[in-house]
Amino acid sequence: MRNKRGWFAFPYVIWMALFVVIPILIMLVYSLTVEVDTAAGTALEGSLENFTGMTLYASVFGRSFLLAVIATVICLLIGYPVAYLMSREGPGFQRVAMALIMLPMWMNFLLRTYSWMAILENNGLLNQLLRKIGVIALYNKLTGSDIDHFQMLRTSGAVVLGMVYNYLPFMILPIYTVLTKLDHRLIEAAQDLGANSSTVFRRVTLPLSLSGIVSGITMVFVPSVSTFAISRLLGGGTQMMLGDLIENQFLGGAYNPHLGAAISMVMMVIVVICMLIMNHFGDGEGEAVML
Amino acid sequence: MKKNSLGGRFLIGLCFLFLYLPIFLLIIFSFNKGDSSAVWKGFSLHWYAELFHNRLVLDSLATTLLVSLLATAIATVAGTFAAVGIYSLTKKWRDPVLVVNDLPMMNADIVTGVSLCLFFVAFFHGWGAIARWINSWQDLFTLPEQLHLGLTTLVLAHVCFDIPYVILNVAPRLRQMDSNLVDAAQDLGCTWMQAFVKVILPEIKPGIVSGALIAFTMSVDDFVISYFTAGSSTQTLSMTIYGMTKKRVTPVVNAVSTIMFLAVLTVLVINNIRSAKQARLAAKRASFEPVRENPRVERFKEWLYTPRGRFAKRLTAVVLCAAFVVTTVFLTAFTQSQPVVNVCSWGEYIDEDLITEFEEQTGIRVNYQTAESNETMYSLLKSGGADYDVIVPSDYMISQLIEEGMLAELDYSQIPNFELIDQRFRNLPYDPENKYTVPYTWGTVGLIYNAALVDEEITSWSALYDDRYAGQVLLIGNSRDAFGIALKYLGYSMNTTDEDEIREAYELVADAYERGVFQGKVMDEVFQVMEGGNAAIASYYAGDYLSMLENNEDLRFVVPEEGSNWFVDAMCVLKTADNYDNAMKWINFIASTDANLRNMDYIWYASPNTEALERYPTWYEEQYEEPLDPAIYEIIAAPQDVLDRCEMYLCLPKPTRVLYNDLWIKLGI
Repeated sequence: MRNKRGWFAFPYVIWMALFVVIPILIMLVYSLTVEVDTAAGTALEGSLENFTGMTLYASVFGRSFLLAVIATVICLLIGYPVAYLMSREGPGFQRVAMALIMLPMWMNFLLRTYSWMAILENNGLLNQLLRKIGVIALYNKLTGSDIDHFQMLRTSGAVVLGMVYNYLPFMILPIYTVLTKLDHRLIEAAQDLGANSSTVFRRVTLPLSLSGIVSGITMVFVPSVSTFAISRLLGGGTQMMLGDLIENQFLGGAYNPHLGAAISMVMMVIVVICMLIMNHFGDGEGEAVML
Repeated sequence: MKKNSLGGRFLIGLCFLFLYLPIFLLIIFSFNKGDSSAVWKGFSLHWYAELFHNRLVLDSLATTLLVSLLATAIATVAGTFAAVGIYSLTKKWRDPVLVVNDLPMMNADIVTGVSLCLFFVAFFHGWGAIARWINSWQDLFTLPEQLHLGLTTLVLAHVCFDIPYVILNVAPRLRQMDSNLVDAAQDLGCTWMQAFVKVILPEIKPGIVSGALIAFTMSVDDFVISYFTAGSSTQTLSMTIYGMTKKRVTPVVNAVSTIMFLAVLTVLVINNIRSAKQARLAAKRASFEPVRENPRVERFKEWLYTPRGRFAKRLTAVVLCAAFVVTTVFLTAFTQSQPVVNVCSWGEYIDEDLITEFEEQTGIRVNYQTAESNETMYSLLKSGGADYDVIVPSDYMISQLIEEGMLAELDYSQIPNFELIDQRFRNLPYDPENKYTVPYTWGTVGLIYNAALVDEEITSWSALYDDRYAGQVLLIGNSRDAFGIALKYLGYSMNTTDEDEIREAYELVADAYERGVFQGKVMDEVFQVMEGGNAAIASYYAGDYLSMLENNEDLRFVVPEEGSNWFVDAMCVLKTADNYDNAMKWINFIASTDANLRNMDYIWYASPNTEALERYPTWYEEQYEEPLDPAIYEIIAAPQDVLDRCEMYLCLPKPTRVLYNDLWIKLGI
């Protein structure tokens, strides 16, 4: 009778073919064609121009990957200790902490990012605070400069901050999930066998939580590398990223969906390759999005 | 197990502080008296009251909830069946299906959004031919030939990214389930459907619930995929907020978000208390202490198993379903009532009371959308993402749209108010015979500076490229204006097609960019930045300067001596417009003297209506009981000697447009 229920999957397979596979194929077709003017209007012509012309944007690719990697590393450095400490708390504390990590998602992420703008502006809350407590005066004295604010908004640092802020929960959650499921008998066994706490962490806890780390990295890196709202709000148009480039080709001034599709294609391939490499170290994706 | 020391808890606390600091700020500023998100002006609840009058926010909130509810409901049912199906497949089939299932989650949102957008657009192209063919051989019904991105595509896209989350949450439950249970049920006489309902469903219920919750959260929070698949006439809350972040986010949005946030917080707190109670109960059970449940609860549970109880259970389920259906229907009706006219204009470019007034007068619902720039609107039109009727592009974009045959000729017999338009603003180069347009506003581009940060009186564009103001200048965020100003500064025409001149202008801008003169590239963000005194110099439109002046008195405006651009924004109707007659009514309404006066007062852009333009100073005095500063009137309606210095943009030939675009992109990277 098993096979009969197998038919339940059939509509979904068709659905996926229609809304997952075919759109990607259409994107592929778009990326391999260009629009040319002919006597009868415009026509499509097969060409690799979109891909060869992309070298122009090498620096955008570079910046996107660099900023996304930095943000991912920072998320990992903050997220792992927090997840680790959380997993060692009592069940009541853990429940509350989990809820507190999910809760910000209910405040629109654009709004939260916008809130950072008010903090980081030249005359924003942070600069006002620094001015009040005399940090800026002190800095001027030490370096002999004459500034009345630190330029924080519209820099790459602000973009990284925005990414870390928005995607940190996606790093904490999967690591935390894996750590709570950890079999404590293994740690006790290691201790019984004479390992000190750092050895226990290095040889037992860390390797066992690798799958959580992998899915955390995936869930932070992918949205970071492709963001356009964060770079736009906090980067002030000076920090163009891949997402901005793509958005600009579809809904922005540049209007060239063929080029946009090509860039999306390249991004997709690079991301998939990264993920395949990552998955070599552990298989985690699923854990991350489960309550 | 060791508990954490105080230091550990402190670290967790710090992390939460980081996560919640901006949220606290948002909540605090929703109670602000002023409309700033950085300056506290006192406690007030008026943004919450305002919320119930703000159409844009309410509409988009309704759309968000409708889309999320529908998508979650569909995805939960479909995902559950799919998961059961997938786990009944043999491994050979299951693995590839799971890989494809993971794709939308692994992929960046923007890739999913873009691919779906292209898919829908391609489908619409094909649909036109099919619909025409079907319509040609039968007249029982006519299929619409033109489809647009909208609510349907939005829901489809959401279902698309929701299903994998449901499957992922249901799957582990299925894996844990003892498959013998199903066999046992069937041995005992269940059909396979009964087995599914009575055995499988209860086992995987927690997975379904958490899957649905995650899917709902993801739907509500999603921005990127909606942004690419919603088209023009449907807007979710995120999209509305995105539009606002460019100019000013009204604290109304803070208020709405605070309410949503507190609602979810309450649910979470209740849930937490309940599960804490359950955990205590479980602990008691484990210690073999007799668990004494409340006798009333016990009696209630027993009652549930009597026929009457079962009936009541079913009734509750039916009522809940009905409530769900009614809510969806209500929300749908709320978001799409007929008849309509779809208008696309710029942000804060109309006195919104006019919209309400028009609706009350005619009973036509105005679907008022905003685009960011001429180029953005053009992209939307080209991609088939927009189903606007009336658009308000600028002069040069109008001639490009006419050239490409995208505009419909207007029926001026339905627009008697066109007679009120000044002769100066008729038959302009973009529409020489005036067949397609009715002017909406006109104005100049000038240089805005903050007298508190700049010591001299600026009269030349040179300040934009001056090292003395390094890090203090804002570059205008569109290629036409940025290069046009540079061309004017160099003494060339803004409409030059000479490649060397344009390249020279580019070098000027790029050089200043490299020397760090520009703090950023902005469009409507200029409001916040200049008002807050966060930059010293910017170039922008005269009307917008006056809006900024209301919030920062140190700002000055000048049309530099080298000359500048003067523009006309005019209303046009698209060939694809579905509501042509409503569009005529709207245009006629807006062209009236009264509407022009009120618009002029609200947005500070000059009116092309002769009477409105002349009467404005007296009208202002009547309204506010104080005379209008002549200097301000001169900025709104530039006198002829200033206009003589200015040039109107003409439509550039395609190669020049491509050059502009290439240079602009080169500048950004």
